[in-house]
Amino acid sequence: MNLFRSEEHIDRWLAGRPPGATIPVGTLAELADAWWHDRLAPDWRPHTREQNQAILDRLGLTGAFWQLP
Amino acid sequence: MVDSDLGVRNETYGLFVELGRAPAPDEVAERLDSGTADVVASWRRLHDAHALVLDDTGAIRMANPFSAVPTPHRVHTAGRSWYGNCAWDAFGICVVLQADGRIETTCPDCRDTIVIGVRNGRPDDDSLLFHCLVPAGRWWDDIVFT
Repeated sequence: MNLFRSEEHIDRWLAGRPPGATIPVGTLAELADAWWHDRLAPDWRPHTREQNQAILDRLGLTGAFWQLP
Repeated sequence: MVDSDLGVRNETYGLFVELGRAPAPDEVAERLDSGTADVVASWRRLHDAHALVLDDTGAIRMANPFSAVPTPHRVHTAGRSWYGNCAWDAFGICVVLQADGRIETTCPDCRDTIVIGVRNGRPDDDSLLFHCLVPAGRWWDDIVFT
């Protein structure tokens, strides 16, 4: 899970491997906020699969690649 | 995972933030006035529940988003420097500490340093791209690789 300057860098790094998913860094920041915002809360409880899938869905991260087990 | 594990987990995270590094089990036990073996057992259950990640020796490897070991994802925020487990976690460190910050990471292709400022949760360079290689359904198959 890395940051790149452009698609060209990603393609070169993949070197023929099947690509995963690429999203803008702004979406990543939104994802981090939704995913981690309660991590240090005293009343923290593990997110359910449904809660985490809803976060992905809300950000448009849908399709088979983003389906949690 | 049992209810008391949440207290151990909270103290572990609290100490990580306080110390700027992963705590040892005896440090957590002292805070909780409990036994080191109890903390070790709790950590194992938390590891199995994906609430933190232990290494092969039973030490904390990840208290996500924090990494206990150096990574290519350095975060300067809240008066300290931290390591994230990945680019996602690097942003997550600013989130959990509720602070602006600066992320220094490395392009895996060209090895150039990429520096991103984070203000109010937003990156100061919107041109960057995040690539996730492993599908979500397999993230926990090997979370260190993911």
